[in-house]
Amino acid sequence: MAVADIEDRIAHAQRHRSSIFLEDAELVSVEKFPAEQFIMRLRAPRCAERASPGSFVHIQCSEQIPMRRPLSIMRASKNDGWIEVLFKSLGEGLRALGSAEIGDVFSIIGPIGKGFVPDQQRPNTVLIGGGVGIPPMVFLAESMQSEDFDWNPIVLMGSEIPFPFDAAESKIPCDWLNADINHTMPLLDRWNVPARLASLAGFDGCFNGYVTDLSKMYLESLTEEQRQQTELYACGPTIMLQAVAKLAEGYSIPAQVSLEEYMACAVGGCAGCTVEIQSDDGPTMQRVCVDGPVFEASRVVF
Amino acid sequence: MAVTLPVTPAPLNTDFCGLTLNSPIVLLSGCVGFGEEYTRVDGFSNADVGAVVLKGTTRESRLGNQPHRVYETPAGMLNAIGLQNPGMDRVVDHILPGLDFAETRFFANVCGSTIDDYAAVTKRFDDSPIDAIEINISCPNIKQGGVSFGNYPDMSAKVVAACRAQTSKPIIAKLSPNQTDIQENARLCIEAGADALAVINTVMGMAIDTENRRPVIGNVRGGLSGPAIKPIALLKVHQVYEIAGPRNIPIIGQGGIVSARDAIEFLLAGATTVGVGTALFYDPMACKKINTGLADYLKVRQLQSVSQLVGALQL
Repeated sequence: MAVADIEDRIAHAQRHRSSIFLEDAELVSVEKFPAEQFIMRLRAPRCAERASPGSFVHIQCSEQIPMRRPLSIMRASKNDGWIEVLFKSLGEGLRALGSAEIGDVFSIIGPIGKGFVPDQQRPNTVLIGGGVGIPPMVFLAESMQSEDFDWNPIVLMGSEIPFPFDAAESKIPCDWLNADINHTMPLLDRWNVPARLASLAGFDGCFNGYVTDLSKMYLESLTEEQRQQTELYACGPTIMLQAVAKLAEGYSIPAQVSLEEYMACAVGGCAGCTVEIQSDDGPTMQRVCVDGPVFEASRVVF
Repeated sequence: MAVTLPVTPAPLNTDFCGLTLNSPIVLLSGCVGFGEEYTRVDGFSNADVGAVVLKGTTRESRLGNQPHRVYETPAGMLNAIGLQNPGMDRVVDHILPGLDFAETRFFANVCGSTIDDYAAVTKRFDDSPIDAIEINISCPNIKQGGVSFGNYPDMSAKVVAACRAQTSKPIIAKLSPNQTDIQENARLCIEAGADALAVINTVMGMAIDTENRRPVIGNVRGGLSGPAIKPIALLKVHQVYEIAGPRNIPIIGQGGIVSARDAIEFLLAGATTVGVGTALFYDPMACKKINTGLADYLKVRQLQSVSQLVGALQL
């Protein structure tokens, strides 16, 4: 049996002393979408300052439910000191959070975790989000567009319930797709990031199928040379991530996936949120909170 | 080696097995990894606690249990981590040298599948800067060892005696609440050479997902911690103090402590130090708050030392 690289982990913790902040975050705005989905903007300047795509916050949803819930950060404004999270109010904790009102204050710790690490050798990036797994993809798209480097991102999102935004026709053409498949998240259009949606639920302007099938169509439209400069990034249900890993393997393209697991401390102390990751020396159990949440797809044991 | 900095109010200084702790708070094994993890949180400091008990360590490395390993339940949580650790050699050779013993004391937590395992791990820690060694005879989440020793007083005593023979460092026997007669277990552990007792480990429990009709916890059963078990733990401390008190054996009282008031209850019941674990998951600054609350309680009552509360329960 291989031992996870514990010295590295300790060194990692030491290097990251005081890198996670405990803040009382005030709810400054909330948007409600069908199927009990919410986008909340919280005032959390210290967390916003350090947030990166893939990082998350651990939020206490109510005093009666003291164990925190991990939520991916969807957007962060360093200048205005806020972060945005998206969630579906499933379960007792997130139901309580969903009933919050403007001005309510929540204890959060964040930003937590190793996020996505884009590789400049592969400027074509396919950002695949499923259901309430879309937040880090939105964050990654915004971050790539704001960098000096010439990234070429495309965002593909899937959902079987209404999308947690008002989908609208995109002004950015995707000539690899039938022109009827033209809906997007308007925010991404505003950032000039091409995006398309997939669903089996028959929503207007969406690809009728899984987001991974849509992703495959996109990859098929690329030349082999283009694919060698492509990387996949994904967050969503485990079954979707598994399909992404398979897709990536089929095309010999690397993929980074963001995982989730029930979590207690979220700072690496309890080893409660581990997943099985294949290392060069054999199987390891790694913590989603601080060893992840983003892992190389080819190393995840699904 | 271990020079403790007086960062907490002096009345909180606590004598424990001949060691001076700068607070009666002990961070519990399994909650803070190998001592550095919580320092990621800005404002958290190991210097706020008297001691940190490191993650349970076995002779060989262990991967631990399959997910899910943790789950929130009313006023608490279940866990079944399964003693994931890199093995004693890696802990002693690579982790301990990286810890800052000037901030706090560090205790090891040893576990094994056989008595021989316990003795071997204890011996390994004997030749290390570790300040004390906790013997985990009550882990409910592994297939062999752990609570299969701790639920039987005779077996508990055999494990303690085997460890005693390997070290002159203070030994703490961590007792299980999942047994019929904790007083008998405490008595035999003391006679076998335990210098202190940790009371209690988690209470065994389970949770079921009604959608898929499966246990939530991968290991089926897990250990329940948090405020839900506080009354159970408090009674066990009270009972064990009847045995340990007259023999001058200190108790680490633990189980659901989240506030200074909780800590004071455990001290009054007979604990010399108080363990904090799940409370950190609620609030990473819990220890600072408990220290402040304890100091205020002493000041208001014009007490000079937290030790004046130990076993001061009026019956």
